[in-house]
Amino acid sequence: MKMKQTLFRGALLLAFLTVPIFAFSQEVVQGTITDDNNLPVPGANIVVKGTTNGTTSDFDGNYQITVDDFPATLVFSSLGYASKELQVNGGSNLDVTLEESVMGLEEVVVSGLASSVKRRNLANAVATVSAAELAGVTPPKTLDGALAGKFTGAVVSANSGAPGGGMSIKFRGVTSINGNSQPLYIVDGVYVDNSSISSGGLNAVSQASGGGNASTQDNATNRIADINPDDIANIEILKGASAAAIYGSRGAAGVVIITTKKGKAGKTKVNLSQGFGFNQIIRLQGQRNWSEALAESQFGEGDLYAAALEAGRLRDYEEEIFGEEGLISNTNLSASGGNEKTTFFAGITNNDENGIVKNTGYKKTSFRLNVEHNFNTNIKLSLNSNYISSSADRGFFNNDNSGTTIGVALTSTRPWDYLLPDANGNYPDHPNNSSNPLQTRDLMTNNERVNRFILGGTLDVNLYSNQNSNLKLVARSGVDTYNMEAKVIFPKELQFQREDQGGVNGVSAITNTNNKNANYSAFLVHNYFTDNEISFNTQVGATNEQFSRNTVSVVASDLIASETNVDQGANQNVNQNRLEQEDMGFFVQETVNYQDKLIGTLGLRGDKSTNNGDINQFFYYPKASLAANLNNFDFWNEESFLNRLKLRAAYGEAGTFAAFGSLYTVYQSTLVDGSVGIVVPITQGNPEITPERQKELEVGFDLGILDERLGLEFTWYQKRVDDLLLLANTEPSSGFTTKWENAGELQNRGVEIALNAAIINKEDFSWDATLNWWKNTSEMLRMDIPAYNTGGFGTSLGTFRIEEGKSVTQIVGNNVDGDLVQLGDAEPDFQTSLMNNINYKDFSLSFLWHWKKGGDNVNLTKLLSDFGGTSADYDEISIDPDGQIPNGEYRVNNGIFAGNATPFVEDASYLRLREIGLYYTVPSKHLTDWFGNVISDVKVGFSGNNIINVFDYNSYDPEVSNFGGNGLSTGVEVTPFPSSKRYMMHISVQF
Amino acid sequence: MKMIKSIKIILVMLALILASCELDGGESLNGASTSSISDDISRGELTQAISGVLSDMRVGISTHTDVQSIFGREYYYFTSSDPRYEGDVVVGNLDNNTFYVTTPWGARYATIKDINLILEGLDNTTADFSPAEIAAARGVLNTLKAHELLMLTDNQYDNGIRVDVADSENLGAFVDNSAALTAIADLLNTAAGELGNGGGAFSFGLTVGYAGFDTPQTFLQFNRALLARVEAYRGNYDAVLTALDASFFDLNGDLNAGIYHTFSLSGQDIANPLFIALNQTANVRVAHSSFVTDVQDGDNRLNKVVLRDEPREATGLVGTHDVALYSTNIDNVPVMRNEELILLYAEANMQSNPTEAVAALDVLRTAAGLPAYGGATTPAALEDELLYNRRYSLFGEGHRWIDMRRFDRLSELPNDRSTDNVPSAIPVPANENK
Repeated sequence: MKMKQTLFRGALLLAFLTVPIFAFSQEVVQGTITDDNNLPVPGANIVVKGTTNGTTSDFDGNYQITVDDFPATLVFSSLGYASKELQVNGGSNLDVTLEESVMGLEEVVVSGLASSVKRRNLANAVATVSAAELAGVTPPKTLDGALAGKFTGAVVSANSGAPGGGMSIKFRGVTSINGNSQPLYIVDGVYVDNSSISSGGLNAVSQASGGGNASTQDNATNRIADINPDDIANIEILKGASAAAIYGSRGAAGVVIITTKKGKAGKTKVNLSQGFGFNQIIRLQGQRNWSEALAESQFGEGDLYAAALEAGRLRDYEEEIFGEEGLISNTNLSASGGNEKTTFFAGITNNDENGIVKNTGYKKTSFRLNVEHNFNTNIKLSLNSNYISSSADRGFFNNDNSGTTIGVALTSTRPWDYLLPDANGNYPDHPNNSSNPLQTRDLMTNNERVNRFILGGTLDVNLYSNQNSNLKLVARSGVDTYNMEAKVIFPKELQFQREDQGGVNGVSAITNTNNKNANYSAFLVHNYFTDNEISFNTQVGATNEQFSRNTVSVVASDLIASETNVDQGANQNVNQNRLEQEDMGFFVQETVNYQDKLIGTLGLRGDKSTNNGDINQFFYYPKASLAANLNNFDFWNEESFLNRLKLRAAYGEAGTFAAFGSLYTVYQSTLVDGSVGIVVPITQGNPEITPERQKELEVGFDLGILDERLGLEFTWYQKRVDDLLLLANTEPSSGFTTKWENAGELQNRGVEIALNAAIINKEDFSWDATLNWWKNTSEMLRMDIPAYNTGGFGTSLGTFRIEEGKSVTQIVGNNVDGDLVQLGDAEPDFQTSLMNNINYKDFSLSFLWHWKKGGDNVNLTKLLSDFGGTSADYDEISIDPDGQIPNGEYRVNNGIFAGNATPFVEDASYLRLREIGLYYTVPSKHLTDWFGNVISDVKVGFSGNNIINVFDYNSYDPEVSNFGGNGLSTGVEVTPFPSSKRYMMHISVQF
Repeated sequence: MKMIKSIKIILVMLALILASCELDGGESLNGASTSSISDDISRGELTQAISGVLSDMRVGISTHTDVQSIFGREYYYFTSSDPRYEGDVVVGNLDNNTFYVTTPWGARYATIKDINLILEGLDNTTADFSPAEIAAARGVLNTLKAHELLMLTDNQYDNGIRVDVADSENLGAFVDNSAALTAIADLLNTAAGELGNGGGAFSFGLTVGYAGFDTPQTFLQFNRALLARVEAYRGNYDAVLTALDASFFDLNGDLNAGIYHTFSLSGQDIANPLFIALNQTANVRVAHSSFVTDVQDGDNRLNKVVLRDEPREATGLVGTHDVALYSTNIDNVPVMRNEELILLYAEANMQSNPTEAVAALDVLRTAAGLPAYGGATTPAALEDELLYNRRYSLFGEGHRWIDMRRFDRLSELPNDRSTDNVPSAIPVPANENK
């Protein structure tokens, strides 16, 4: 102590002595503050260390500060970035790059519809995915696919491997059984449509809906796939009602808030990046060990086998179909810049990807222009515009009832079957099936083409501000409009289209969808600060959302010559489906921050909608939350190795609308003998239907250890969904099979743990890692209607069953004794992921492991192959508990024929290396040597997607869904388009 | 001060916006509400609603017919996409919540709902229908409703069906087969009375499948023919003969005269779901081997099946012949034919007038290219001959299984695998919560 005092005095004396020399050397330090992505950091604080002298950077990141004393230390800090201290010895230009802080403590997170809060003060576990995490390691196939494994509390699952995507995302368990269970997507304030729209003509041929499950099973793309990941600056995930209550009747399934990149004032920067690569099937199933004897005993075709062997014509048709290596090319050109009044970001991206099946692929061109203009210091206008043109060729897969899909055809194809076309392109008929899969692959078309505009505008007006308070008006409008044309063509040459084969002589279908979402909102945000650091943030607002969709499909059959226009056929079947919905809401929220120690929020959203029974009845959704930063209280020992401890609790309610039209019992049209007729629908409407209501309570704590080298977030939640929208089975003798009811309550409970560590943090070597672990369990708490089966093919093959007291995602079926028992559960036991970023000198290596433990699928692909006698494991003995009967026979005779669904319910665990990327940044001094000042940044690298996959699941990939993304139907597999791994190489140049 | 003022103005404006923005809309955009028919049916709607009934009667008939035909060991249906036709249905291990149980049941009751909504609409109508027009419409609807109920009790038998389902929220009790048949006969008699008061013409159209039965008087012949079937199932042979008398029964007439479902590929119409081209591999209907082996020499009814190029095997079941009842995907499917009426006539006379019974059977034997019946005319012998002719004359039309059941001979139906069984009835769907 004494020693210290002496030193202090000495320093004081020294300072005193030097004052005369430097006292009047006032000089200006100025520059620009940017982030890792070279984007400006506005509003950053610049303070001369040890003084109260400070300033902030402007909208373009420019700052200017007058320093009295040199040398001085300037402290640069901003929300979301690690602070930086730099010494200056005199007036100079000093450009500063702030790095995003590892723990993201300072980043801002949305907390209202028009306000944000520092993560440090947040009461919810809101996940954030940065641009670097989203697409920085390896370019994702689709935006939603890029979220898998990157944060806790989500099940992100691909429905199929078909080009163009098809994903399902569920936050914190199943939130709705028959209502929408996919999150709401908001891009720069615009409500963006994520529908999956079936293409007419596919089901007409596959007749998939005509059998055990009335759903069409076409697996259409979900339209969020249109959004270009390269444009995205940041994604925030509100996983449940406690965070998403402000989104009211659309918030229950969670909200994905996407912010796109912005420009910064200064030199115009141009970035060109190019990726090349290919994809490849993850796992082929292989074939039985065919021999003449086996071919004879299985099919009596030993002679055919021998002949084909002799002629060298044995062929692995699985490899023939799925063995392609599809080329991938991604080109991205972006430019950003501007001046202090106006900034812009413009980008054009072209993706071209071939599938692992010939004639499948995905092409997308996305053009974006984001402009921000400051009229003056008080008025700012932002405009975000995005045009997307995409085209996906998705092949013909999944279940059918006509033996026509490529997947089903493959199950009955034997290596000695000769299916190749002759020199004139004539394909032989398949000897054991109604379609020749090579012919179907080569001749049919299943294309979805989309033209889409997304436009959003935000006007920020500072109405008033003074020392202690300010008032801001935020007005927003947005529109998302697209036209999708789906073209399905089955030419008359196809085996199953020929009239002698009972075909209809060609099918051509066009499905045209016009979709428009528009949303308008206005908010007032008032901030008030007291002298003793208590701040009040008040916001009120009103919102209006309009949704309109019109789908018209024409399916023509008996086509003229090789014409495909739908008028060029004998028969046309026309369908139209419309949706018009308007929601109105208001929103109030008050946040009180007591010295960053206690932060409390109360809010209320009121919503009405034309989709409700009483269209002008308001539904109210409250929220409340409290965060306590214990480390900011006086009793906290600042020297403690535990440098931060926050306790938090949040409660909120949100809703899910009934599906459009659930209020009405509406006649379907039909035709008989040329006369139009009306028939009752399958589903009886319910004029009393109301939205589901989710009530979520979330509590947790956040720790910072060793000066934030280690961070831990722990969250426990309980999410209850009451007035559950159930497509309840009615007594079918009523004339209806199902009826919409608000008839139950379910619960999800879970734990989410995220551990961040800055393992090594040296000048030229750093290693950051994030370990996530999460688990959810669900239970049907109450059912007002009898238990029922849904989302499968019945109890002899395994089906989901909604039953009081049981897990919502249980899979039931008959066991070996014929009793109906629970055979599995689609819910994983837990999931965990490990993200690593290692930087060594100019190299960076990032990789993401993702382990899903448990969770079951219903795998019917193998069973269909058993019926075709072609399953790869047909002769193995691994599923008979007595170890006697080969798998193929067991699944048929002891499985389905014995009414035993046990063999079809399989564990769908997996461990994947989801992403890996290795990049080298060419040192800037070389660039200057080689190119002068033309090129400022060059990066090259390799990356991959799903390169390592470990799973026992007996098919192509445990991530699969025959029924697409909604509700419970995940994990049922019937001959899908298999998933693929991707290998890429990249170069990116900045001018 | 200024600030507070502007806040106030803005808040007042917001409140005004909220209060004044009443939503409107909220309509069903994609079709007419069912109450538009039941509350007050108009003239134009009646034709469309009855077309709906005639169309809906066809829904699910492939599942219905396939299941019955597999039970009756008439044919097998193998489809590469759903193994349960060669599994559960042949094994007789029927799950009460799987499509082979639920589809036929739901489809018939959907048609009955179509009918009940129209009947309700006819009670409430404010259109200028004459009493005769209303009676005629009711007569047709009640006859068709009786037909649908009969198809249900054929399947569920003593597991029971509901007859009174007019009120969706308050469904009637389950009744066994004999009570159901009584109710169906009563309904047919009510309908006959209504048709009798129905004047000379319908105020709506029927399909070409009803050609010759498209006036109240001629439709009554269909009504009576159905009654004859019902009375035969009840064993009331005198009533069968009475009913046949008033029906389109014609011992010397066209065997195929009758009522048919029609199909087309136009628009929302449906194709004949029972048609499959010959020599297919993925989806086939193949005759049960006994149909080929049990046939009497020269019986040309064997041409209802055609020898395949290659046999089709499915898990131990083999079919050598394709079912060839329909040659295109728009062929009509019979609802009721004169051939069945002749068989009902023979059956009704079997005990009381064996000579007349043999005469009737000989009509069919002659048509089939067989010599006249020369066997014994004991009741037992005639029963065999009747069942033989019913089997070959009505092949694939959903009779064999029911006939063997009502003559208590189900155990005679062959099982090709040790696992196989013929059930005597289809369970009531689980969702009926019986």
